[in-house]
Amino acid sequence: MVESLFAQPPVSAAPVRAGDTVLVLAPMGEAVSLGAFAGAGRAALVVRVRETFGVDLPEQPRAVPSADGQVVFVWCGPTQWLALAAGDAVEGGLMARLRAACGDLCALTSQSDSRTTLRLFGPQAREVAGRLVPVDLHDAVFGPGHVALTLAGHIPVILRQVARNPVTYEFLVFRSFAESLFHDLHVAMNGALS
Amino acid sequence: MRLTCPFCGSRGVEEFTYRGDATVRRPAGDAGAAAWVDYVYLRDNPAGPHQELWYHGAGCRSWLVVTRDTRTHLISDVRAARAVAQAEREEGAV
Repeated sequence: MVESLFAQPPVSAAPVRAGDTVLVLAPMGEAVSLGAFAGAGRAALVVRVRETFGVDLPEQPRAVPSADGQVVFVWCGPTQWLALAAGDAVEGGLMARLRAACGDLCALTSQSDSRTTLRLFGPQAREVAGRLVPVDLHDAVFGPGHVALTLAGHIPVILRQVARNPVTYEFLVFRSFAESLFHDLHVAMNGALS
Repeated sequence: MRLTCPFCGSRGVEEFTYRGDATVRRPAGDAGAAAWVDYVYLRDNPAGPHQELWYHGAGCRSWLVVTRDTRTHLISDVRAARAVAQAEREEGAV
């Protein structure tokens, strides 16, 4: 398991439910940001990740799993990505694996204690998310694998859809804003369903 | 007002920050005081199309060069500042 720097969980509340729609703090995993070095770093990084993880780093706001399914690469800007892995998914740790694979081509920074994941799922998840996020979440334009870097209310988030049935979103939010976003989403759940 | 980020798509202006005139260029180090005063302090205030820098701080954190009509807020072009600078450098090298 990943060891947190913090003694307290980022959100104190238990999972909340409105109808069949549920908001829950996702279990902590490992998160590492990749920032390609200037010059040829970006192109070389894409090639190296393809060789090591069997997947092309997304060129658009998308999230893609590695060939072995252990790591998800989330687009995070034109030259940046966020690698996510479940707590014990990668033997030896995600950071060590990335450093060995591509540490010479990009800046690797652990974000495990920086980002917190809130998971929202259920039949009304889209309506709830749409109350806070100013991007089009319609099924035709935003589906599983899609990513949006935007604001939820006033809180910066990396939003990604992970499943269609039931509709499941993950909000990657700065740890210190997690409690506030959890509250906002809870209010949105009650509002969207009333 | 909405801006179409070349990376994120159409987004509300609240995600962006205005970062000034995109047409000014740093003069050579030995250029006269007049050129430096112009670069540091003096800005045109055109009525019409204007190139300006915007920063997508709440999104992909890219710097953009936006062509906006100051009379109508019509956005006619949005490009990544990096691409604009690269094109200029290549033009200068030819």
